[in-house]
Amino acid sequence: MTRITVWLGHLLIVAAAVAGAVLALRVLDGSSPPLHAALPRIFPFAAMSLSVDGLSAFFLLVIALVAAAAALYGPSYLGAHAPGPLIQTLALGAFVACMALVCCAGDLVTFLLCWEGMTLASWVLVVADTHSEENARAGLLYLVMAHAGTAALLVAFLTLADRAGGFDFASIRAAARGLGGGTRTTLFLLVLAGFGAKAGVVPLHVWLPKAHPAAPSHASALMSGVMLKVALYGVFRFGFDLLAPAAGPLPASWGWTVLLLGTTSAVVGVLLALQQHDLKRLLAFHSVENVGIILIGAGVAMLLAGGRGPGALATLALAAALLHTLNHAAFKGLLFLGAGSVLARTGLRNMEELGGLARRMPWTAWLFLLGAIAISALPPLNGFVSEWMTFQALLLGGVRLGGASGLLAGVAASMLALTGGLAAACFAKAFGVTFLGRPRSAHAEHAKESPAPMIAGMVLLAAACAALGLAPGWAMRILDRPTAELLGGAGASAAVTARGPLVLSAGDASAGLGATSISVTAAAALFAALAVLAWALRGWPRKAPRRLAPTWTCGIAPSARFDYTATAFAKPLRLIFAALYRPSREIQRETGPNPYVVRRLGYTGEVVDLAETMLYARVKRWVTASAHEIRTYSTGRIHGYIAFVLATLVLSLLLFSKA
Amino acid sequence: METTPTHLIETAAEAGLVVLAGPLVTGYVQKLKARLQCRRGASVWQPYRDLAKLLRKGTVQADTATPFFRAVPVLVLAATVTAAAMLPVLWAPAVAPALPLGDAILLVALLALARFLLAIGALDAGGAFGGMGASREMTVGLLVEPALMLAVFSIAVAGGTTDLGLLAARRESLAVAWQAPDLLALFAMLILALAETGRIPVDNPDTHLELTMLHEGMLLEHSGPGLACIVLATHTKQLVTLALVAALFLPLGLARGAGLAELALALGAFALKIFALATFLGLVESSYAKLRFFRVPQFLGVGLVCAFLALALRVL
Amino acid sequence: MSVDLATRLIDVLGALLLFTMLLILASGQLFRAIYAVAAQAAFLGIAGAVLAAATGNVDLWIIAGITIAAKAVFLPWLLLRVVRRVQISREIEPVIPMTVTLALAAAIVVLAFHLNASLGPVRQAITGNALPVGVTLILIGVLVMASRRKALVQMVGLFASENGIFFTAMAVSQGMPLIIEIGVILDVVLGALVMGILVLRVRSSVDADIADLESLRG
Repeated sequence: MTRITVWLGHLLIVAAAVAGAVLALRVLDGSSPPLHAALPRIFPFAAMSLSVDGLSAFFLLVIALVAAAAALYGPSYLGAHAPGPLIQTLALGAFVACMALVCCAGDLVTFLLCWEGMTLASWVLVVADTHSEENARAGLLYLVMAHAGTAALLVAFLTLADRAGGFDFASIRAAARGLGGGTRTTLFLLVLAGFGAKAGVVPLHVWLPKAHPAAPSHASALMSGVMLKVALYGVFRFGFDLLAPAAGPLPASWGWTVLLLGTTSAVVGVLLALQQHDLKRLLAFHSVENVGIILIGAGVAMLLAGGRGPGALATLALAAALLHTLNHAAFKGLLFLGAGSVLARTGLRNMEELGGLARRMPWTAWLFLLGAIAISALPPLNGFVSEWMTFQALLLGGVRLGGASGLLAGVAASMLALTGGLAAACFAKAFGVTFLGRPRSAHAEHAKESPAPMIAGMVLLAAACAALGLAPGWAMRILDRPTAELLGGAGASAAVTARGPLVLSAGDASAGLGATSISVTAAAALFAALAVLAWALRGWPRKAPRRLAPTWTCGIAPSARFDYTATAFAKPLRLIFAALYRPSREIQRETGPNPYVVRRLGYTGEVVDLAETMLYARVKRWVTASAHEIRTYSTGRIHGYIAFVLATLVLSLLLFSKA
Repeated sequence: METTPTHLIETAAEAGLVVLAGPLVTGYVQKLKARLQCRRGASVWQPYRDLAKLLRKGTVQADTATPFFRAVPVLVLAATVTAAAMLPVLWAPAVAPALPLGDAILLVALLALARFLLAIGALDAGGAFGGMGASREMTVGLLVEPALMLAVFSIAVAGGTTDLGLLAARRESLAVAWQAPDLLALFAMLILALAETGRIPVDNPDTHLELTMLHEGMLLEHSGPGLACIVLATHTKQLVTLALVAALFLPLGLARGAGLAELALALGAFALKIFALATFLGLVESSYAKLRFFRVPQFLGVGLVCAFLALALRVL
Repeated sequence: MSVDLATRLIDVLGALLLFTMLLILASGQLFRAIYAVAAQAAFLGIAGAVLAAATGNVDLWIIAGITIAAKAVFLPWLLLRVVRRVQISREIEPVIPMTVTLALAAAIVVLAFHLNASLGPVRQAITGNALPVGVTLILIGVLVMASRRKALVQMVGLFASENGIFFTAMAVSQGMPLIIEIGVILDVVLGALVMGILVLRVRSSVDADIADLESLRG
């Protein structure tokens, strides 16, 4: 009975996702005008409404894609072992609905209510899966960080609503036109901090790698693949639309801040990911990296928007950021579902105990490899396409802006290249150690392939990765409307795929800069043709005999202990970047009666997240210290507390009456 | 806009030339090293003979490897040759062709794809040496990438494009458009080329001692025709790297049309450029010792700072 | 020689000076650092010759000649001799990690160009990027002195820094009066002699390097 209900619930989510996708696509291809619907008045002080314009529709599409895959995958994943499957189903539904509604909100109140709903529903998913101390702590940290972010948002929202005299976006937009430069930037920074805490922007990322892996895997896919994007939706909505000045460029400080934050997040995220041996945590750190890459594109777009550069360049940058948003949702969703498949079948997340799964779970393995190639920004899949566009935006933007901005753009491009290289190394490790070689534990040895619905969920996202990589023209058409709305001009396909749907070009003819064009499709076709040719010629001039033999291990009988581990694979980088990792290690050596005969060797090592030790530990100490101070005033008597409340009330009344 | 068939034929001819000439460059460098060590050395055609020999040999495959293992050499070779197709070897069209195949970033990404697939193949068989080789090669590769991107960026800033053919055509038309930043970027690229081609002081192509291998470590489990594919890919990658340096910094003598005299000149110019760069590789390899692995980041760091200086001189 | 060509040559020589500076900064061995500083002085001499040809200033020819003779030939020879005599280890011992030093060097470049932007009026047509390059050389030379333990490497850093001062002076004001330039070169030579003798004496009498002076602290 429970199983049927769970299935029905998930299928309902799939149906809703399909409906949402259809709606979004209709808005995006222009066959439907922007939608607007008033909601019943719940609060006397604010009218609530929903509205779907191009940007909302685009994010709706992102949500729908991953939600459909996750909901297909979910019931089999929850299977028999999950505690409270009904609650999880319900929370999943609420989570997806709230994310969709945040993107469709037409006023600040609806936005904030759904934002909170999203946080709470995902919190339920984080703590519901396994009842461990660690999960509870992760959930608590998540709640604290999310609400700190919400507090920042609340301050900005209330200030805006106060200026506008209403909560709906139209009047906010109108009111923001009249803001002074300082106020505008302060508000933007507040909003950026609020959304950044949710999106996992360094240094506000510490909760993310703890909370995301704790949820069931399809919920992790949604949290990493989509919920972060909802926060980025906020950045796009406020940065380019609601807080933008009436005319002229956005303040240069915004672009610089976003670009720097993006670059830092990208590099720090992937560096920390490399040292993780928990498959899901590794993926969660990669989300920090990819949010950084999206922000790099957004930062360049901000620097160029509104006339500082030619329109086509800003459009290119924004299209890169938005496309990477969609791409990351596809491949990160795929990878989390793959990791979940491994987890469901072996009960293990630590890749050191896995290995050899490619022969036992071939579908999962090869789909995971596809996702790994996509996330490492390797051609011909979608990750490469959006990173290529980001590179071009940086290059042409750098040429255009010149001076220090040009140098910063060059450094950002170089860091982006480093990020791509680190990601490739990280996924060579993750895929190789998890799926290849010999199994390192009994669980891995006896693993079986996952059931068909789980595979189907992964195949859906894998198909999206391939399609977005090989047919970029199609993706650009989706981006037309959002880019035109935010930046004006003709939209993404006019700027990027002017030379036909299979050719991507970046350039700025008006400024005398040459265009760079690539055709990923043609390169992929050439690659495939060459591979077929080489495969055919391989047996020439004679069909050589083939035999199997054990792997070479210097003549010793090979066993799983010979295989390279994840720790070993990442060791060169641990030493090279030791200044950032501060690695520590401990070796336990147990010897017999003769000190030269070692019976057992134990190795434990760990790296630290500098943000955690340098920043959060200090904040924590400071909070604890001030709590001690405050204890003097904390008498424990209820009358005293009520007196504090009274004093606060009187004080704020006095302050407001003055204003 | 150039017609597609002509362009495709040109691209195929250039990629074919790079693949066929790849082993010759290796042979020349080996010969040069031998002469510098007062040995006679093997003939410059020896790499071709090795390949022919490997193609006729049987295959021994690790029993733990997946079916994908057999596809790895072929895919690595295909990715490398596709990268070669991005290069302007003989022709540099002044206008963008209808089917653009010539982007520097795509070239670098395709080489990265080949490296990634090779690393996956090395981990596939299990065993420590493949993993060690994969780990080290990926590490060197990712350290090269940011510096390479900065160097390409500093050149591309001058031309406003990353299309190698257009860049070459545009810089050639500025006569000898050498400026101070080009010089620094060239130094950076030469340092990076040593790492990309897997030569001393970063890697030793001649070693077969398991603990000192970087690239060779990943090839340990491959044999027969599969190994031939990978070795050919390695030769090709070396020539691609050299030709990339040539295309970025010495874009002279490239042909515009299909005239015979023009083509002969372009071929001669290409041979001369590659000869000079290969001599550089051989000389460095003969006069330096291999660096300890953890010194390599510092060596590449010089390249990174050089590229950074080049960009700073260009834009500031 | 036309002014345009001279400007371009000076720019290219500036790039070469920067590159040799990086080699000094990144070299792990004493000998390499000394060869690099010799090459740097040679490039400096060539830059002087180029300027002399471009401006027709005879003093600059003399200075270029002295620079090559004294700084590209004599001083490196002296340093190499000292190194061989004292038989110290050839490894350069950095105080801070090499990668950090390189990052600092990159920061110095940005700083120098930033300063240059604020010094706009000083910039002259013929000098191109010479001013920021010169400032960069001076600062990185000091960085070399600050980040290395061995006295001889600090000497190399001093030479390099001195080369930067020369380059700046030559390129910006077409050289100081001849007598001052010669005086400065003599100073450097004397400094090197004193330093060399000191190192030899310290080594022969107490068998210590100047890095060990720390231990004298009470």
